[in-house]
Amino acid sequence: MPVIGIPTGELKSRLGRELTSEQLLEVLGSVGCDVDGYALLRRVQCTRCSAVFELAGKEEPPVVCDRCQSDLRASTSTSTSTSASASTSASTSALRELPPLEVVRMELLAVRPDMFDPGGLARALRGILEVETGPATYEILEPLHTVRVDPSVRDERSFRPHIACAVIESITLDDDRIKILMKLQENLHWALGRDRKHASIGVYDLDSFASTELEYTTEPPDYAFRPLGGATSSTLANILSEHPKGRAYAHLLAGFDRYPILRTRDGRVLSMPPVINSEETKVHQGTRGLFIDVTGPSARVVDRALNILATSLLELDLGARLRGVKFVAAVERVTPDLTVQRVKLSVEKTGRLLGLDLDTASVEMLLRKMRHGISTSSDAASLEVLVPAYRNDILHERDLMEDVAIAYGYDRIPRTLVPTMTVGRELPIEARSNRAREVLVGLGFLEVMSLVLESPESSAQLLGLPDHPESVLLENPISVDQTQLRTSLLPGLLETFARNRHHALPQSIFEVSDVTFLESTTETGAREERHVSLAQIAPKVGFAEIRAWGEALVRELGWPLALRPTQGAEAPFLTPGRGAWVVAPDGSIAGILGEVAPTTLDRLGLGNPVVVAEFALPGADGGPDATALRSFSPLR
Amino acid sequence: MSERAFSPEQVAVLRALEPQRPQRVPELATRLSLDQAKVAAAAMSLTQDGLVSLREEPYREWSLRASREDAAEAVILERRIVRALAAHEGRGSLAEVAMWSGLDAKEVGQALRVLALRGWARKEGAALVLEPTASSGDPMHDPDESAITLLAANSGGRMTEDELALAARGAQRELDLDRARTLLGPKNAWIEIREKTHRWLSLTEEGLATRAAGVESVREVSQLTPEMLATGEWRSIRFKPYDVQLATEPVYPGKRHPLQRVIEDVRRAFLDMGFAEHASPWVESGFWDFDALFQPQDHPAREMQDTFYVARPRRATLPCDEALVDRVRSTHENGGATGSLGWGTPWDRAKAEQNVLRTHTTAATIRALRDDPKGPRKVFSIGRVFRRETIDFKHLPIFFQVDGIILDERASFSSLLGTLGAFYERMGFSKYYFRPDFFPYTEPSVGVYIWYEERKDWIEMGGAGIFRPEVTEPLGCTAPVLAWGLGLDRLAMLKYGRGDIRDLYWSELDWLQGAPSCP
Repeated sequence: MPVIGIPTGELKSRLGRELTSEQLLEVLGSVGCDVDGYALLRRVQCTRCSAVFELAGKEEPPVVCDRCQSDLRASTSTSTSTSASASTSASTSALRELPPLEVVRMELLAVRPDMFDPGGLARALRGILEVETGPATYEILEPLHTVRVDPSVRDERSFRPHIACAVIESITLDDDRIKILMKLQENLHWALGRDRKHASIGVYDLDSFASTELEYTTEPPDYAFRPLGGATSSTLANILSEHPKGRAYAHLLAGFDRYPILRTRDGRVLSMPPVINSEETKVHQGTRGLFIDVTGPSARVVDRALNILATSLLELDLGARLRGVKFVAAVERVTPDLTVQRVKLSVEKTGRLLGLDLDTASVEMLLRKMRHGISTSSDAASLEVLVPAYRNDILHERDLMEDVAIAYGYDRIPRTLVPTMTVGRELPIEARSNRAREVLVGLGFLEVMSLVLESPESSAQLLGLPDHPESVLLENPISVDQTQLRTSLLPGLLETFARNRHHALPQSIFEVSDVTFLESTTETGAREERHVSLAQIAPKVGFAEIRAWGEALVRELGWPLALRPTQGAEAPFLTPGRGAWVVAPDGSIAGILGEVAPTTLDRLGLGNPVVVAEFALPGADGGPDATALRSFSPLR
Repeated sequence: MSERAFSPEQVAVLRALEPQRPQRVPELATRLSLDQAKVAAAAMSLTQDGLVSLREEPYREWSLRASREDAAEAVILERRIVRALAAHEGRGSLAEVAMWSGLDAKEVGQALRVLALRGWARKEGAALVLEPTASSGDPMHDPDESAITLLAANSGGRMTEDELALAARGAQRELDLDRARTLLGPKNAWIEIREKTHRWLSLTEEGLATRAAGVESVREVSQLTPEMLATGEWRSIRFKPYDVQLATEPVYPGKRHPLQRVIEDVRRAFLDMGFAEHASPWVESGFWDFDALFQPQDHPAREMQDTFYVARPRRATLPCDEALVDRVRSTHENGGATGSLGWGTPWDRAKAEQNVLRTHTTAATIRALRDDPKGPRKVFSIGRVFRRETIDFKHLPIFFQVDGIILDERASFSSLLGTLGAFYERMGFSKYYFRPDFFPYTEPSVGVYIWYEERKDWIEMGGAGIFRPEVTEPLGCTAPVLAWGLGLDRLAMLKYGRGDIRDLYWSELDWLQGAPSCP
C-alpha cells in the first residue's frame, strides 16, 4: 500500500475542535487508518511549473519533473550540499527549497478514497468527533458547459465509453493546495483507477479556454496537440511512443486505431484521456477555476471518482463553488451526480451481527457520525440510509453494519464467546506426522524445514534422475531455481548437509512435509502427499544403520518393513547393491532407503558417507484406509 | 591403623621414604618398580596432606639435537670458516669465504658475531681476517665444541651440567659451561639446553606417625565395572573424585524445528478451543482461492505480479455443483440473491479455472464451509501459502498461515473479538487491541495488534472479520461466519528472536540444535 502524508496543519484546522497530537492519532486509528506517525518532510519546488515534491528522510529530489518533464538535475537554488557550481545554478536552477512540512504518515486506506486528502479526511473525522454529523451537503450550480459525447467513444471498439465532468469556481490555489490536488488525483488513479485503467482524471485551468461547448471524441494517430511539458505539438502516435506519460500508459490504448480526445468545439484540446493533458490548459498557482473530467470503462467508478475529487476540493476551499456540466448524448444528464445511494438497514440484524443491544435511535445516531443521512420514511424495524455519493465501498447493508461498529468504537464492544459446545478434532495425517516426528526426535534426529519450490535441474541433477514427469510447474516463477513444487524431500536434506560442512559430525536430520504430483482425478489436477525423510552424514555409517532407523520408524507407526533391492538405474543416487525400495503390504512402493553413491557425494562436495530414507505416510487425504500405503512415485 | 585410605602407590611411597633422607622421584620409582608419573602423582597428593615434604632443585640438562654419530664428527660453522681462511692466507671477502667453506653467504654473515666472540676472525672493511690466535686444527678447543664431543661420547647423548663437568675432568679438558652456553646461543644446531627440576622427597614427622599407625591401600578407580559389582571388589574401591566444575563436551537432543513447535502450539490452541482441523491443496483453483471469497477478478492480488500461477496443471475443473458456480458468478456480476450490488463487471469462468498456488489458508476454510454450510461448527487450517514476493529478510514466497472460522447462528462481532482475545491470550499475548481494518471478504473487519514487550511496540498480528454475505450465501450459509487468519513465521521470529525470516528455512544446524526448547 502506498504511504501518504496528510499535512497536519491542514487537517487540524478543519476538525472544528482542538486535538493533541496523541488524540489525533487515536481518532485516526479508530476509523481504521494505519498510521505510521508524524514526520517532517523536506519540500522542493520545480521553478518551471511550480510542482512541489515532498521528500521523506534521505530521499533525493527527482531527476525529471513528472508534471512538466523538465530536467531538474541542476542544483536547487538554496544549494544544500552538492558540488554543482553556484555560477551555473544561478541561471539554470530548476528546484527551489520550500519550508519543511509536518505530516501524519499513514497507509492509504484503499477502500476509503474519500479520506485520501485533508478535506475529505477531516469531513469523516468531524463526524466521529461529533462536531458535525449527518450528511455533508454541497450545492451544484446550473451548468454553463456542455459536452457532446461522440458516438465513436461508445462503440464496441472503444475503451473509455464513460465520462463525467465538473467545474470548480472561485477556488484559491496556492502551491500547497496544488500539491494536495495533484496527490489526490494520483491516489485516486491508484485506488479507484487501478493506474488509470478503470478511471482517469484530468484537471484543467477553467480560464485557459473560452468556449463552453466541449466534445469527447476520438481522433486518428496523426491528430496533433501540444502535450503537457511539450514545447510544440505532437501527433497522438508520437505522444504514445515518445512522451514519458505516453509510453507509461500506451498499453491502455493498445489495439485501437483512434484515440480519445477531450476538446472544445472550436478546437482547443484539453487532454488525451487517459494519457496526458495539454500544455495550454494546465493548472498553475493563481488558477481561479477548474474543469475536471473523469473517463473510464465503468460508469459507477467514473462517477465516484468525480464525486470524491469534487467534494474533497469543496472541503479543501470553503470558498469554492461547484458547477455542473451538461452532457449532450443519447441520454442527457448533468454531472457530478451527488444523488445519495439508498440502502435499507435492519436495526435488529445490525444489533445481532455486532452482538450489541442497539435501538433505532442509537443506530441512526451512529450512522450520522459516519456522515450518512437517514430517510424520514424510516420505520422502527429498518432504516433507509442515505449513503453519500462520495462513498465507493457500500455494496450491501453489511457495509453499513461495519460503519455502525466503527462509530460505536471497537474498543467499547464487549468480548464474548460463542456459547455452542464443539469438540476439537485433528486430522489423522497430522497426528501421524507428529508420531513420526516423535520417533525421529527420539532417535536423536534434528528437524529441518525447507522451502518447497525447486528447479527440475537441481533436484534431477542431485539425484541423477531425469525430470519428474508428474511435477507441478509454475507459470511465473520468481527465479530460475524455484520453478516447480518438489516431488521428494531428499534433495533438500542433501543440500542441508552441503550447507553445514563446518558443523560437527555426525549430523542426523529429518523433514516431514508434503510433496506434490499431477493427479488427473482431483479437482485441480494435482495432489499433495505427506512424506517423511531422514538422513545422516557421519565418518562411519552405512546400510545397516539406515535400515535399522527406517525399520524403527515404520514399526512405531505400525507397519512391517519389507524391502526389495533397487535395480540398475532405478535409483542412481544410491550405491549399487546398497539401496532398497520399501514395499507396502499391497506390493506398491512406499519408500526408499540406502547409502548415497560417492558420485552424488562428490557432486555436493561432501567428504563423509551419507545414508538416506524417504517414506510416504499413508492417508494424506485423511481417508478411511489409513493403513494402505500410498504409491511412492517421486523416484520411480 | 590410620583411618585414612591410601592408594597402593601412596602406600608404597610412604613405606619407601624416610625423614631427613631425601630421595629423588626417578630413583624412588625405579626402586618401587613403578611408573615415574604415578609416583609423582602419589607424592604430590601426600605432600598436600602434609605427610611428605618436597624440595625442588633446578638444574640444566644438555642433550644432543643431532645423532651421536653426527656429533662425533661435528665441525661447527665458525671452525669451517677459520679452516677456509687459514687455507687462503688468512683473508678473504665474505663471498670468497663462503665459496671456500662451502657455506652460503647468509650463513657466513650470521657467523660474524660469534667469530668475533671467539676471537677467531674479524671484519676489516669488506674482508674477513683471521686472528693470529685462531687455530684451525684439532683439538677443537672452544668449550661448546668440547661439550658436543663429551655428549657424543655419552651413551644417552644427554647429561646434566654436573655430569658434563665430571666427564670434562675425566677427559682432562677445560670446560667453561657458562661460556659454552653463550657461544651456542639458544637456536644452535647441536645442543638443546633445558631447565629442569629435581624433586627430593622425604617423610615428614606426621608422615612418620601415620606410617607407624599403619596404612592400608585402597584401589582408586574412575569407572565402576560389572566385574567390580560381580566380585564385590567395589567394597575396597575408592572412586576418584571429579572436579564438578570441569566443563564437558555439550550434547544436544534431537529436536523439532522451532517453526514446527510454534505451529504445534497454535494447533493445540485451536484443538483445545474445540476447532476441527481441515486441509486444502497447495495447487488451488482461482475459484476457491479468490472467486468464492468475492475477490473481484481484476483485484491486484490476482495479478501475475503477486500470485503464482500454475503452468502444469494449468486448469482446474470447477466444482461439479454448477448451481454453486452460477451463484458465485451472479454475486460477482450483480450481487445475485445476496442483496449486494456486486462488482458490476462480467465474471469470467476461465479466470476461475486458472490454477494458482494457494495464497492463503482461507481457501481451506472456505472449502470446509462448502462441505457443511449449516453448522454450528468451528474449523481451522494450518499450512503453507504462496505469494510472489521477492526474497528478503522480511519476505519469503512461501510461509505458514493459520485460518479459523466459526459458523454459528449465535456468533457475532462481539464473539469474534472475544474469541480472538481468548486465542491470543492462549498464545501468550496478554496485551492486545482491535482496530478497524479492511479485507475484501470480511465485513466488518478487524486488525489485531499485540504488544511486543521486547520491542516495546504494537505489532499487527493478524486480520479477522465476519465473512461478507457475498461469500457465505452462495455456499448456502445463512448463519454468520467469523473468520481470522495469522502468519506463523512472524510469530516464530518474534518467539525465537530472529530478525531474518530466511533463517527459518536455511537449516543451519548450529541454530536448530541450539534454539531453546522453551523460548
